[in-house]
Amino acid sequence: MPQVRIVARNFMDMVAALPAAKLDKLYDSSFICEAVLRSLPPLAKKYVLQMLFLDSPLTAKSMEEWVLPDGLSKHKVAIDRLLQLRVFMEVNDRKKEPSYKMNQKFQSNMQKYLTTGGTVPREPMPLNAAVRLPSVGELETYAMEQWECFLLQLINSSQVDKSTSFSSSMMRAFQRGLLNSSRDNEAPRLTENGFQFLLMETNAQLWYIIREYISSAEERGMDPTDLISFLLELSFHTLGEAYSVNTLTEVQRLAIKDLADLGLVKYLQGRKEGLFMPTKLATNLSVSLSDASSRKEGFVVVETNFRMYAYSTSRLHCEILRLFSRIEYQLPNLIVGAITKESLYNAFENGITAEQIVSFLQQNAHPRVAEKMPSVPENVTDQIRLWEADRNRVEMTPSHLYEDFPSKDLFEACCDFARDYGCLLWQDMKKMRLIVKGGLHQQMRDFLRGQR
Amino acid sequence: MASAPSKLYQDDVSLVVALLDTNPFFWAAASLPFSEFLHHVIPFINSLLLLNQLNRVVLIATGTSSCGYIFDSGDGNASGNSNAVCSGIIKKLEDFVGKDSKIGKGSNGDGTRPAISSLLSGSLSLALCYIQRIFRSGTRHPQPRILCLQGSPDGPEQYVAVMNSIFSAQRLMIPIDSCIVGAQHSAFLQQASYITGGVYLKPQQLDGLFQFLAAAFATDLHSRNFLRLPKPAGVDFRASCFCHKKTIDMGYVCSVCLSIFCKYHKKCSTCGSEFNQVAPDSTIPDQKH
Repeated sequence: MPQVRIVARNFMDMVAALPAAKLDKLYDSSFICEAVLRSLPPLAKKYVLQMLFLDSPLTAKSMEEWVLPDGLSKHKVAIDRLLQLRVFMEVNDRKKEPSYKMNQKFQSNMQKYLTTGGTVPREPMPLNAAVRLPSVGELETYAMEQWECFLLQLINSSQVDKSTSFSSSMMRAFQRGLLNSSRDNEAPRLTENGFQFLLMETNAQLWYIIREYISSAEERGMDPTDLISFLLELSFHTLGEAYSVNTLTEVQRLAIKDLADLGLVKYLQGRKEGLFMPTKLATNLSVSLSDASSRKEGFVVVETNFRMYAYSTSRLHCEILRLFSRIEYQLPNLIVGAITKESLYNAFENGITAEQIVSFLQQNAHPRVAEKMPSVPENVTDQIRLWEADRNRVEMTPSHLYEDFPSKDLFEACCDFARDYGCLLWQDMKKMRLIVKGGLHQQMRDFLRGQR
Repeated sequence: MASAPSKLYQDDVSLVVALLDTNPFFWAAASLPFSEFLHHVIPFINSLLLLNQLNRVVLIATGTSSCGYIFDSGDGNASGNSNAVCSGIIKKLEDFVGKDSKIGKGSNGDGTRPAISSLLSGSLSLALCYIQRIFRSGTRHPQPRILCLQGSPDGPEQYVAVMNSIFSAQRLMIPIDSCIVGAQHSAFLQQASYITGGVYLKPQQLDGLFQFLAAAFATDLHSRNFLRLPKPAGVDFRASCFCHKKTIDMGYVCSVCLSIFCKYHKKCSTCGSEFNQVAPDSTIPDQKH
């Protein structure tokens, strides 16, 4: 199974890959410390809490005693992560034993948080009767619309009604790796990674786009560190409150317009100044940093007769389902389709694996079927996997067939020779025939000449 | 401890219901003053809320004659300024202790018999009802656990109620963690942590209470499978009799409902079945014919 390169955790890897000085500067802000803490694996979180009020370093050996023997691999993963993110620093004492202590700034910020509690990054605007603020529900629909519009434009520019204000070079940067133009006059087709991207959950997709956005930030004159800290701060704002644009720095103001296009914030014009309101996509950013599963409501019901009913109105969902199923009707609130052999073969040709399809169906199962075990009928999942295995039935290896051996001894000597090199594929004792991998042909000929 | 297969849990998210012992008779004589105790508990609660955005903490106070909800982080107004939240908690605790002592005085006349034990059974029941409500509220729940911060000694009259709560918790697979801040071990909580698979700890130094809490009680249920955590050693499994509530080693057991008595009774007080056996000090007649 190919390694999925597009993983949400890569955002934290990007943070960890920052140079040490910049990373330490990031830890000045207590929100970033909180966000980083929340993104750690659970064991690492416990270690941070335990070391929070300790001033002197603790040896690695004594830390290993905290876990049971079968937890050692998780322990190593946790410690590595903490060292990568420079939350733990390695200290070598005179006995040359490695010991760890916490990053000073991180420690003091977290101690302050625990004793005096968290604060909000900026104060919301007082309620103003002149400007009508959208409700939380309206914000959510706005966010989903913007995000879907962006995704549709990403995969197929011709299908959208209104396009976002991203420049075409930005869109090309996002599309890199997801789309490729196979031929010049044809529309670009989705690559294998593109399909994987579409089938991922929203938070993972969001982090991928943001990662690309930040990587290209330097070319546009924005400091990536500032962007990272602004994005992490954004997730600590309260949903449904409006904040004044005047409290943002220049860099952040440029970023706000782009984020509004993605659906992370809604930009409004207040009486005197611009306002922005973070949506659920933004406030969920810090939750989705770790590998937690998404909590969106599912919409797909799969029946045992391979029919599929998706209670959704979004065109994006329709496009995604069209990737691997045959859409039959589209009603105002329902998409009816069937999973057929042809549609699945189509999907497999495009590089989607059966596992991705099955996990997409399971993760997006409608709440009525989600409680059942299994949420997708077993005959459907088994059949999808079987159809995928159909394509792998025949495996081809270039090889050579040797026959008409003069004597049995020569035949057996050849068999042993081929077997020693691990290239013997098939032999028939009675008719004295043997099949050897193609790469050995030259040596086989020399061997046979030497035998005569 | 494996999670129940029929309910969908989120991985790292926990719901911690903390039962604080507010028995004024205990705290008056304790080595650690109550305000210091709160100075350790409140940062611990902050740290639980810090670990995951979706974690929830509920505080229940265990008084001498009543129990009450003090704090629920799932409320909308709990976020925001933490100083306000903290002072809110302290004020609610003060109100609760005042009400509790009034109830105590009322039922005991003028308080001639001071209650030395706190109402652990009441707060365990409140916690279990809250958790059951969470289970019924939707498809995805956090993983619940109960943390008892107990100092007062056990009251043997609560034996039956506490054991019933422990068995309910066991059936719902909710671990009961105990942290003893008093002077002696608590047999009830040892049994609770043993039966439900929770952590039992009696810290040696109470001024480092936060460190003990963070080290032993802060992890979520899934990671506990990989950590070495203190378990109760040498659990005292002695029961109390149902008639006088005394702790006994040997006694009489009803064969129908398994209630325990210290003296011979003609009729079981729990299920009403009559015992036709002859009294124990007469000789058993010969069964041959």
